[in-house]
Amino acid sequence: MNLPKSWNEIDLLQFKEIRELYSIEEVFAREIEILSALAGVSSDDLEDLDVSEVSTLLKDITFINSEPSKNYKHELDKWKLKPLSKLTCGEFIDLEYFFANDYVKHLGHIAAVMYRQHHTDQWGELIFEPYEFNPFDRYELFDEYCINDIYGIIPEYLSFREAFMDKYHLLFNEEEPDDDEDQPMTSEESKAQAEKKSAAKWGWERLIYSLCNEDLTKVKQVTDLPLVLTFNMLSMKKELNL
Amino acid sequence: MVTILGRDIPNQLSELNIQQFEDITSIHAINELDAIEKHLKVFEVLGLNESDFEDTTIEQFKQYVKEFNNIKGKPVMQSTIELEGYNYTSFEGDEFKLSVRDTKHIEKVLNSKHKGYLSEMLAILFKRDDLTKTEHYDSAHIKHKAKMIRELKAELVVPYLVEIGQKLAKQMPKDEPAEVVE
Repeated sequence: MNLPKSWNEIDLLQFKEIRELYSIEEVFAREIEILSALAGVSSDDLEDLDVSEVSTLLKDITFINSEPSKNYKHELDKWKLKPLSKLTCGEFIDLEYFFANDYVKHLGHIAAVMYRQHHTDQWGELIFEPYEFNPFDRYELFDEYCINDIYGIIPEYLSFREAFMDKYHLLFNEEEPDDDEDQPMTSEESKAQAEKKSAAKWGWERLIYSLCNEDLTKVKQVTDLPLVLTFNMLSMKKELNL
Repeated sequence: MVTILGRDIPNQLSELNIQQFEDITSIHAINELDAIEKHLKVFEVLGLNESDFEDTTIEQFKQYVKEFNNIKGKPVMQSTIELEGYNYTSFEGDEFKLSVRDTKHIEKVLNSKHKGYLSEMLAILFKRDDLTKTEHYDSAHIKHKAKMIRELKAELVVPYLVEIGQKLAKQMPKDEPAEVVE
């Protein structure tokens, strides 16, 4: 049986398949399914074997209990990693969505936002392609890259995000809607809570709508603005109560 | 048998049936009970009510428990059993082998933590000679067989418990948290 020896032999698609198998509650059953996926044999074939035979094979794939490398590649063929400091507002909003909704499942989508085509202009400046594509149309292009070359963008983004949220904490630390249904509320409190919940649900949309002065034709202009500039302006507005 | 308050109470593995053994192990697994409460409940399963011990001193009760827990002999692993005229086999040859398929099913039963897990474990291991794999693992068939197995003596289950415990401890992967590998 030909088994991979490390994450270096696992591509992004296989990694996602393995991580999906972690939903299997029983440890042994889960390991058998992972073994079957890695060996490319049906789990039915493995089930006829004796436990002692399978345990030898399981010892060969213990690397799956570790995380892939954090040392991601900055270039993958024609794709180059766009520095996080150069993210636009639209890119950040999409990344936030993918990270909030199972980032392992959306790792290909995240890579599609972060790794971009590029060229150097006449002044020697590195120019990244504009964000005019849908990551849902591109995520499969990253399926065959080694997971060790890509996985590190997750901790990298999370670390960037933490610093970003910390820097603009006044904009993010809106009071959370209180879900305590046992507490009796007046009709005003109830109305206020419903408004808060609604505001939380439409957070990004509300922000963009406000930034483009309620003119939907300007949404693209706003989402293409540099993230840092946008949040600096928002901070200024908030601080000066403009 | 051990005599407690003038009554013969089964305590050996050749005397207790599997259902009683399951009840006893379940009682011992209740962390909320102290040792005396556990033993009172065990005796209740075997026909002695708590009120029967009202006049028993603590020293006498301890002596009963000591005698009850004095299990003699080591049961031998049986590879075949007969139930309702059908022959059931758990392994061929001299050495007990645990298949991956059986382990997966047993793991599921153990995780469910219900009271009849020991008889269901045996129901998975003992296969009727004339049935196909699909029929054998059918959940209704396993439940029906487990019900019959519950009436058999506990000496059947203990060697399997020991053997499977050892195999799984040695061979099963550990559910460890992910580590960072550079």
